[in-house]
Amino acid sequence: MQGNILSKAVISLVAALLLIPLQSIAQDLSGREIMEKVEDNRRATSNSALSRMQLSTCKFGVREGKITCAERPRVKSLESVGKGYGPDLKDSRSIAILLDPPAERGIGMLSFIYDDGATDNETWLYLSALGRVKRIASGSSDDETEPGSLFGSEFTTEDQDTGKLDEYEINLLEETVESGREVWKIETIPNEKRARQSRYSRTVLYIDKERFVELRMEMYDQYGKEIKRMLGARVELMNGFWVARSTTIMNLVTNRLSNMAFLEMHTGIDVPDEFLTQRTLTDAAFRETELAKLRAQID
Amino acid sequence: MEKILLSLSDAFAQAPYKVLKYKSFVLAGLIVMTTIMVYGITTRTTMDMTTDSFLDEADPAAIALDEFREQFGSDESIFLVYRAKDGNVFSRESMEAAQQLTDDLRNWQSLDRSQYPESVNGIVLDWDELNHIRRVQSIANLRYQESIGDSLLSNRLVPSSLPESNEELGLIRGNALSQEDYLLAFYSENTEYGAILIQTDFGTKPVEGFVSAVDAIDVSLDDSFGAFNDDETFNLEFNEDIEVQEIEFEAVDMLGYTSFQIMSRAIYEKYEAQFEFFPVGTPPLMEFMLEMLGEMMVLGIILVLIFTLLLWILFRSFSAVIWPLVTILLSIAWAWGIPAWTGVVLTTMISLTIMLIFAVGIADCVHVMSAYFSFRREGEEHHIALSHAYGKTGLAILVTTVTTMCGVMALATSDLAMIQVFGWTSAVGVFLAFFFTIVLLPILLDLWHPGNPDADASFADKLGKRWHSLKRNTKFCIAVVYFAAVFATLGLAVGSYIALVTLLTYVVVNWQKPILDAVPGITARYPYVIMAIFGSIFIACLYGMSKIRIDSNMAELTREGSAIQRAYAVVDENMAGSQSLEIVINTNTIDGMMNPRLLQAVDELQTRIEARYPNEISRTNSLANIVKETNKVMNDDDPAFDRIPDSELMVSQLLYLFNSSNPEDRRALVSDDYSKSHISISAYNAGSYQYQAFFTEMEEEIADTFSGLEAEFPELQVTVTGSMAMMMRMADDLARSQYASLLLALGIISVIMIVTLGSFQGGLLAMIPNMIPAVLSFGLMGLLGLPLDADTLLIAPIIIGIAVDDTIHFMTHYRIDLARTGSISKALISTIRDVGQAVMFTTMILALSFALLSFSGHLGMAKMGFFGAIAIFFALLCDLFLIPAMIITFKPTFGVKNVNKEIDFSKATTVHS
Repeated sequence: MQGNILSKAVISLVAALLLIPLQSIAQDLSGREIMEKVEDNRRATSNSALSRMQLSTCKFGVREGKITCAERPRVKSLESVGKGYGPDLKDSRSIAILLDPPAERGIGMLSFIYDDGATDNETWLYLSALGRVKRIASGSSDDETEPGSLFGSEFTTEDQDTGKLDEYEINLLEETVESGREVWKIETIPNEKRARQSRYSRTVLYIDKERFVELRMEMYDQYGKEIKRMLGARVELMNGFWVARSTTIMNLVTNRLSNMAFLEMHTGIDVPDEFLTQRTLTDAAFRETELAKLRAQID
Repeated sequence: MEKILLSLSDAFAQAPYKVLKYKSFVLAGLIVMTTIMVYGITTRTTMDMTTDSFLDEADPAAIALDEFREQFGSDESIFLVYRAKDGNVFSRESMEAAQQLTDDLRNWQSLDRSQYPESVNGIVLDWDELNHIRRVQSIANLRYQESIGDSLLSNRLVPSSLPESNEELGLIRGNALSQEDYLLAFYSENTEYGAILIQTDFGTKPVEGFVSAVDAIDVSLDDSFGAFNDDETFNLEFNEDIEVQEIEFEAVDMLGYTSFQIMSRAIYEKYEAQFEFFPVGTPPLMEFMLEMLGEMMVLGIILVLIFTLLLWILFRSFSAVIWPLVTILLSIAWAWGIPAWTGVVLTTMISLTIMLIFAVGIADCVHVMSAYFSFRREGEEHHIALSHAYGKTGLAILVTTVTTMCGVMALATSDLAMIQVFGWTSAVGVFLAFFFTIVLLPILLDLWHPGNPDADASFADKLGKRWHSLKRNTKFCIAVVYFAAVFATLGLAVGSYIALVTLLTYVVVNWQKPILDAVPGITARYPYVIMAIFGSIFIACLYGMSKIRIDSNMAELTREGSAIQRAYAVVDENMAGSQSLEIVINTNTIDGMMNPRLLQAVDELQTRIEARYPNEISRTNSLANIVKETNKVMNDDDPAFDRIPDSELMVSQLLYLFNSSNPEDRRALVSDDYSKSHISISAYNAGSYQYQAFFTEMEEEIADTFSGLEAEFPELQVTVTGSMAMMMRMADDLARSQYASLLLALGIISVIMIVTLGSFQGGLLAMIPNMIPAVLSFGLMGLLGLPLDADTLLIAPIIIGIAVDDTIHFMTHYRIDLARTGSISKALISTIRDVGQAVMFTTMILALSFALLSFSGHLGMAKMGFFGAIAIFFALLCDLFLIPAMIITFKPTFGVKNVNKEIDFSKATTVHS
């Protein structure tokens, strides 16, 4: 089960928050078409990518109209490398290494994700304190796994999930303005099968009409009450993609928020196959050498 | 004093004239005011039916419970234990049924609603209630971790598709039995019983209309959320002075729990062919409590019927039935209407207030009417009879009103708001009953009263005459047929009760005069024997009282064999127990729960309490178990690693693993910043007394175990809490404070008696018959080994109050008569004659009404009904025999001068007649 969740986490971290290149303003798109465009572009960003991210989590309060952390945020930083494989690059391999905090430094996760449902995904977890790699497999593939937390933050795999648009009823509600930009307001309602695995009975998304960036997402529970809200900020063009560099998810029930900030994001990196193996997890020297090579490509 | 009492009596005698003079004005005023009150009741009543209303908000354990819920979610759940009818929960059929049922509960939205009834017992099923389900756990979706080679597997205990061969099915059972964490929690050792845990969001749902602070207009993230530094770093600002918005959670009432329970049952009942169900937890318990309230309403209706019938038979006039009812209803309307209009929050305890007003109102009215009717039968004109009746009874009614008010106001000293409100509303209600008896009853009796008793016989009189004209054999035959019919139609228990009502009524109606006439003679002849008998009973009961055990126990709340009692017994015998407690640990330090020494202390505490209470506690679970288990699994299931590692780094990474894979489980066990956690304890059902002791001992163990960590965690707080534990603890506190108030009330009543009777000696003398009924009921319970629970103690002051009322009437009346006649004999004779009848009537009506409560399925209520009825009957015996015997022996003068102390009833009677 851990495998599924964490591999999803890695993929989605890289993919979900990256957005599509500037496009001509689409006209008369349906809700489904808008979402498909968002999805297509997300997939393109997961290939040959190197990213450095920071996750900050805190309790929050509101003062003078500003949402602010009410305690010192807990910060985690991580580095991730991913690459597409298989036909149309629909399979993928990725590795993520925690850099900070010291207690979790060196924890690593290697995931092989297969597009074909018949092949089980594979995940290896490396706990640095134990110095051992464990291959993690879920018991059976039919499981309804609970949405996993991304590195202990308020982000869950579900918040970051992509694809599976067939499992949602997608309605374009209206065209409006959010954070000073023109947006489409779209609602997605999971079908019966999807609802079984979902925390949310409905999600409302505000998509930037020009940049196809999610500026805001509202997640509702089974009572129709908003329980989480995601806000995108600092939308920038990074390596040809519009990206909300800072994404904040607020848990409205526990008054905690997590922010995910892309410190660096690079695509078009040539990732050697050998880097995406267990050796990178266990062999720190190898890892550092290879990472240095990857970073050199950026410079 | 003497003069004051006599002038007060005269004032009461004048009261009816004064009231009648302004009849229309008074009546119109009362009608208008009552209409306003009724309007207030229907539109403005604020009723708090939540279970939290029983809790003292200031109690540290209650605060800890709130914090617990806020942090870890609701601890309210249905623990649905089932017995596989084929004897094995791991048989193919049982596992399939458990899988299907678990799926039904988890994914109820997909169920075909046409397959389910629309309503159960007249209650329409509300499917939305199932939204309260937060999580469902059973053998169908439990997982266990397994390390095979380099793979860490999280397997289902029971695979979704069951294996074909029976051999493989056997393996599932064998594997399940080896999973210590699940054994007894989800299946019994002999695998005959299984359990489904339905966790709810009760108590953790934000109140309706709660608006998050982030929803205010123009709220946005502060600038640091978008500020990347030039060196590619990013730092969120923080301000520890900013207040985090507190969420107010919706309180849950009995009705809420019940609707949920009823709906859940509709779902699981479909599997009754395969399983027999034993639900425990707050929802099923609250359903039972609500059923009890419903039953009380039925008993209430029967009570009014019996009361009506008795009044009619005893007074032989419908005016004697209607007017007391009107007076009482008005008192109830005002006593409820005043808090409704003033915005006071009422609880279900209003039903006890109604019961009290009903009892006090009856006593007041019956005393007045008994006097009025007897003056009428003696041939007095209506107005004169009315005036004489009030003159004779008014003062005594005033005194009983004051004493009962003091009794219930003693409850206002309680720490619990609901008890305070009960005390005040009841005191107001008791006063109102007095007020309306003085102000309204004379007007009502003036509007309609029986005519000349001889010339104008009522239907009841005619019926009585007809009966007496029958031959003895005919009477006998009718009686036999009547009793046979009663027993045949109503069964032994209710039949006996109705037979008793009939017999007593017959005796009182036909022989009250001979009985009352014989009393003085008997008491004069055997005063010492009578005192000796009462004295020994008193002493025996005092001894019994010393044995009384104050204890509230869920399983003893209901009758033997009731569904709820069976469920508790089954769960305690076969599973990990029906109760749960929580030890909340707050380190007040971020990441404090990752500290290996702290986790080792938690582990040690668990070992210690499990060892100390093998009969009370079945299992404990905490973050320490998770760390140990993960450590072992990550080290190839080597038992040597079934411990908390010494390295903080290791603990942190093991917890990282746990958090990544089971965030929901993690959040239910430790707070997001790892500063707070809790130990869950499964316990077998126990009484509140045991819980109270348990709390104290546990606190000692906690202090002992964590003592070495003070330097590292100076702000460490460890508190024992849990909903059911809190309820039990509160029940115990409540019972104790009630018991104390009751003793206080008896003290106050004694002081009032001393003042009213104008003599210390007289007051003390009156105290003995006053105390006997109270001592008798508690003493008997002590002797019989019956525990005194919170519910029983809530009604106790009411019953004691009623029992002493008659004694007060007797003593007050005697005191006045002694002042008027100056002769002990004359005063005693006239008191027995005048008050005797009223005391007999009120005793009949009230004791038989309370005896009816014995049929309640709620044992607390039944016990008090039964023992209360005995107390009231015994109070009558005290009034008729003990008081005269004591007066004859001690000859108290109550401060009246020149009293003729000669005891000669023949003369006294002659003089009077």
